Amino acid sequence: MAEGYYDYPVVKRPVWTWEVPAYFWLGGMAAGAYVTASLAQNFGSADDRRVAGGGYYVAAAALVPCAPLLVADLGRPDRFHHMLRIFKPLSPMNLGAWTLTSFTPLAFARAASHAASTGLLRGPLGALARLVPTRLAELAGGVLGLTLAGYSGVLLAATNVPLWARSKLLGGLFMASALASGSAAVTLQAGRGGVPDATLHRLTTIESAASAGEMAILAGYLVQSGKTARPLTTGRFSAPFWLGAVGAGMLLPLLLHRVAGRRHGRALRSLSSAAALCTIAGSLALRWSIFEAGKVSSEDQAASFELSGGAGR
Amino acid sequence: MIDAYRRMMNIEQPPAPKAARGFFTDTSLCIGCKACEVACKQWNQLPADGFAMTGNSYDNTGHLGATTWRHVQFIEQAKANGSGQDQRWLMMSDVCKHCANAACLEACPTGALVRTEYGTVYVQQDICNGCGFCVPACPFGVIDRTPKTGHFEAGTAHKCTLCYDRLKDDMTPACAKSCPTASIQFGEIDELRANARRRLGELQARGESKARLYGMPDGQEAAEVGPLHAFFLLLDEPKTYNLPEVPRLPRKTMAERYGWSAAVGIGFALVGALVFGRRG
Repeated sequence: MAEGYYDYPVVKRPVWTWEVPAYFWLGGMAAGAYVTASLAQNFGSADDRRVAGGGYYVAAAALVPCAPLLVADLGRPDRFHHMLRIFKPLSPMNLGAWTLTSFTPLAFARAASHAASTGLLRGPLGALARLVPTRLAELAGGVLGLTLAGYSGVLLAATNVPLWARSKLLGGLFMASALASGSAAVTLQAGRGGVPDATLHRLTTIESAASAGEMAILAGYLVQSGKTARPLTTGRFSAPFWLGAVGAGMLLPLLLHRVAGRRHGRALRSLSSAAALCTIAGSLALRWSIFEAGKVSSEDQAASFELSGGAGR
Repeated sequence: MIDAYRRMMNIEQPPAPKAARGFFTDTSLCIGCKACEVACKQWNQLPADGFAMTGNSYDNTGHLGATTWRHVQFIEQAKANGSGQDQRWLMMSDVCKHCANAACLEACPTGALVRTEYGTVYVQQDICNGCGFCVPACPFGVIDRTPKTGHFEAGTAHKCTLCYDRLKDDMTPACAKSCPTASIQFGEIDELRANARRRLGELQARGESKARLYGMPDGQEAAEVGPLHAFFLLLDEPKTYNLPEVPRLPRKTMAERYGWSAAVGIGFALVGALVFGRRG
């Protein structure tokens, strides 16, 4: 027998559809790739800097579908620009809209600047792209990128859906997932070209750190969520979560990186590319399973009462 | 200069604040006639919900939603505690609470959700772009989005307006006007609160030991969302009416969640700088 009014939910089921987790995934990957590329550009050796340009291309490419996905999910897509009629960072949705609006042109400008420096972009556009202050774009883009990667989990947590709101760590979890998939995307494009082994080893070390951090935060998230996490850890979404997000997305890449750490040349390239693909796919599985399981969680009357009973704060 | 900009952009001055208005819903007087549901639908021209039966008592409305702004609950209690009766029916006309700190209003990224001069919370239909963030933000599950197609005012967020249009003409909201037992009382908040306290005293004197008010400034339910502009007299625990004990305001926990997110980002940047900086 339910404690409340029949077994009716206390809160409303989120109306968002697949566009939202797809955007969180791509936007996070773009941001992670931009940050990784900027770190390589500013702190790395001459060889490390060779992967940065490709990183900026990946970031720009992953950003292309982001705004259209976000617009498509709106109830009134023709009014998407209403997001920008006010500046209200108190609302994570408004903060995210402004961040995406400012990060996207910045990432494109930085990619264009690299294209101009390699001679890929010529003529008046190339001349224009050469005017981009690269250091400033890297610094500002790094800050905006981290904001883009970090706000999505906080947005979901700033609701009354028990699975999203109970733990303090969803924002950190999505941030770690974004940085792992972003650095993996940089590795993936670096694995194709003539990048020295030492640079690839450094990239896989960074990826491993992000994946290990992600696993630790996920463990904390599950502990803090307790029984509330059941729609994610059991039932329909348990397979994409455990096998996809945890198994393929975190454990397998960590294992492959351990093996790759002692390899060179072609073996290193194949192993690091395989690990990168797994991390990227796992990042999508993580967003999607937590997003969908949240809808199930919103209908859980008991979990809602537990969240609003004073213990969930 | 600012005035010239305002004129150019057709920005109007907001109306001057008026005395706060609201609802006091005294559930001990509700007879479950659903006149409020019908009056609300008629005045606000909301479509019917269909003829589906829930199988749960006489409540076939089920939930508040985008096109249902009053909802009468029928709670059947077999062994009612403290009432001295073997069986009782609790009825309650639920509505948007018009919170003093409204989660929907804080979540809204477009400024479509505003606080009116009467202290109520209102969705501007010409501004809302249907982002849907207010829907899971509301701790009471009140506001919802209409389907994207095949609907009047499709794809935007809707909820009780506390009959903003009627208030503008000094009229009583449709639900309160139609209530035959004065279970739904409309008026200035201070007056309603005084009435509510008096009524609670009366009921307690008659032995309704579990009677309580929900949404008053001193209640624990006001800890985060503040006093409710639509508040209630209940005859049992809030949970019995599907009301949260301490409704959460997401803003209260946001800084900590951003903090963890930022810590992870900064940690990654440090690791990256160290790994790339360690020239081999």
